[in-house]
Amino acid sequence: MHRKQLISRRKILRGGAASSLAALGPFFHTTKARADKGEIVVASWGGSRTSAMREVMFKPFEAATGIRVRDDGPPEAAKVKAQADSGNITWDVLDTDIPAILTMAKNNLLLPIDYAKLDKGKLDKIPKVLHHEYGLGHLIYGFNIVYNTKTFPTGQHPQTWADVWNGDKYKGGRSFPFRGGISPQLEVALIADGVPIDNVYPLDIERAWKAMDRLRPLVSKWYANHAEAIQLLSKGEVDVSCTVGPRGIVAKREGAPVDVEYAGGKLAPDNWALVRGGKNPDAVYQFLNFVIDGKVQAEFAKRVPYGPSSSDAFNHLTEIEAKDLITSPDNLKKQFWNDIAWWGAVGPDGKTNIEAQTERYAKWMVQRS
Amino acid sequence: MFLGALYLLPMIILAGWAFRGPNGGFTLAQAGRLLSEGAYHTAFLTTFRTAIITTLSCALIGYPFAYLMATTSSRARTLLMAGMMIPFWTSVLARSLAWIILLGKRGILNEWLVASGLVSAPLPLLFNSLGVQIGMVHILLPFMILPIWAVLMRLDQSLPSAARSLGASPMRAFAHVVLPLSLPGLLAGCVLVFMLAVGFYITPALLGGDRDITIASLIEMVVRDLLDWPFGAMLSLSLVTLVGGVFAVGALLIGAERVTNADGRT
Repeated sequence: MHRKQLISRRKILRGGAASSLAALGPFFHTTKARADKGEIVVASWGGSRTSAMREVMFKPFEAATGIRVRDDGPPEAAKVKAQADSGNITWDVLDTDIPAILTMAKNNLLLPIDYAKLDKGKLDKIPKVLHHEYGLGHLIYGFNIVYNTKTFPTGQHPQTWADVWNGDKYKGGRSFPFRGGISPQLEVALIADGVPIDNVYPLDIERAWKAMDRLRPLVSKWYANHAEAIQLLSKGEVDVSCTVGPRGIVAKREGAPVDVEYAGGKLAPDNWALVRGGKNPDAVYQFLNFVIDGKVQAEFAKRVPYGPSSSDAFNHLTEIEAKDLITSPDNLKKQFWNDIAWWGAVGPDGKTNIEAQTERYAKWMVQRS
Repeated sequence: MFLGALYLLPMIILAGWAFRGPNGGFTLAQAGRLLSEGAYHTAFLTTFRTAIITTLSCALIGYPFAYLMATTSSRARTLLMAGMMIPFWTSVLARSLAWIILLGKRGILNEWLVASGLVSAPLPLLFNSLGVQIGMVHILLPFMILPIWAVLMRLDQSLPSAARSLGASPMRAFAHVVLPLSLPGLLAGCVLVFMLAVGFYITPALLGGDRDITIASLIEMVVRDLLDWPFGAMLSLSLVTLVGGVFAVGALLIGAERVTNADGRT
């Protein structure tokens, strides 16, 4: 019953957002709205995510401050570059991940965040690791153990990466990511091999690849994108997968036989970032101070089950609402943060670790010993 | 002339990327990388192996189908045509996903086989070379059937009848009269299917396993994820050259006339 309501509400929101955008789009672009000081444009990913943002962030912010918020997107680096190159910057705030932020920062497209302008009380509730020079983490995802509950009833499921690597005790097909810009999950390979989660970096690369060699015969499908991974799990084509945990929670809430084990998960943030040359710098900080509030994040998490970055959000969620979220206090302490500095470090051959290991991944996959 | 320029210009630019050093000037660095990396050779071999098997399977299934379409009543022909063309108009991605529902471990076919007791455990029909072949043959079959059918339809039906009246058995009349005359259509179909199969990557990525990674997949990774355009250009250029080589050899063996006129208008 509850499930049905959730689906239909989602569909209605999505449909409503799409049709209202389609109807208003042409008018918005030709109005003089940009000229008066009262508007900011937030670029995000659309769908249920943007709908929820409009409901719990944009509308209340508009009501509280009188500053209008318009949404646009998707916030791709190439689009920001095109705006900067043409001298017509229409976006103010972006909602995007660290790799995209690093690319944009390198191309001088972003403003460093002035943390002095942010509410200290709210900021202190967000882990220091998320205070990046060019982005403030607000929505957390991660690579987790996601499993089919028909094959593995919760409690008898693989509870550690070592369990995922153990094909004798846990029968069934594994699925891991390959392609689509996803670097190999060497961290979880090391954890499966016995490295403690707070000791993963710097990665022992050779040890990780030896563990990957042992994983290989257990994998029945190397998936090419995350939607495919969840699809294969829901249909029971594979039994356990290394994929984005919150996507597993979304599927679970829609009634799929899927659940998530957070132990040993690799956490990563989507961030608020500021576009260089945005026309409303004061309003932008008002907006950030509004949306990094724990209560706002909690309301968002009730609608889209990604992890709030502020620990204060969990003061506004019931135990049941918090249980499945990737950043609940219980889940957070079982996981570790992706070390972007290590992946971005340049080796003696002039390649970053991410480039070198992605290339090695392809060769490893094609060539068998 | 115009078309020549349209096709040649990008190829020349591609060659420029592949052979120009980071500071300008000619370099063989990318070619050297390609020659020394066994993984890329394996992917090339996989690509050609897959394309050849797909072409042969399409020919074996497509020829009888086209023959039936050419010789049956017009109502049955309409049905056969619809059966072939309706899936043809569906997107490649949707069809690949449909195969997962049909052939998966818990797919319709395996559930039925296990329930009926024909097999004790689900058959591995997906995420291996078999899955890739099923998916690719299904997608490419119309490109084999249509040229063969076009030639068979234009065949003078009095020729096989004449052979029969001179005492040839139906098989003999087919083998000595119909088959040789329809060869240009078959060749055209093989050329089309092979060319398309060499560049496939969505189907192998969705339905294949780790032994089915094609060169197109690696080119995509090199160009999009690693932004290593010179090496991507080198890989693409090699693929084009190898395919060109295959057709050059084919043309020499069969006679250039037949390959170039293989659209059935001989």
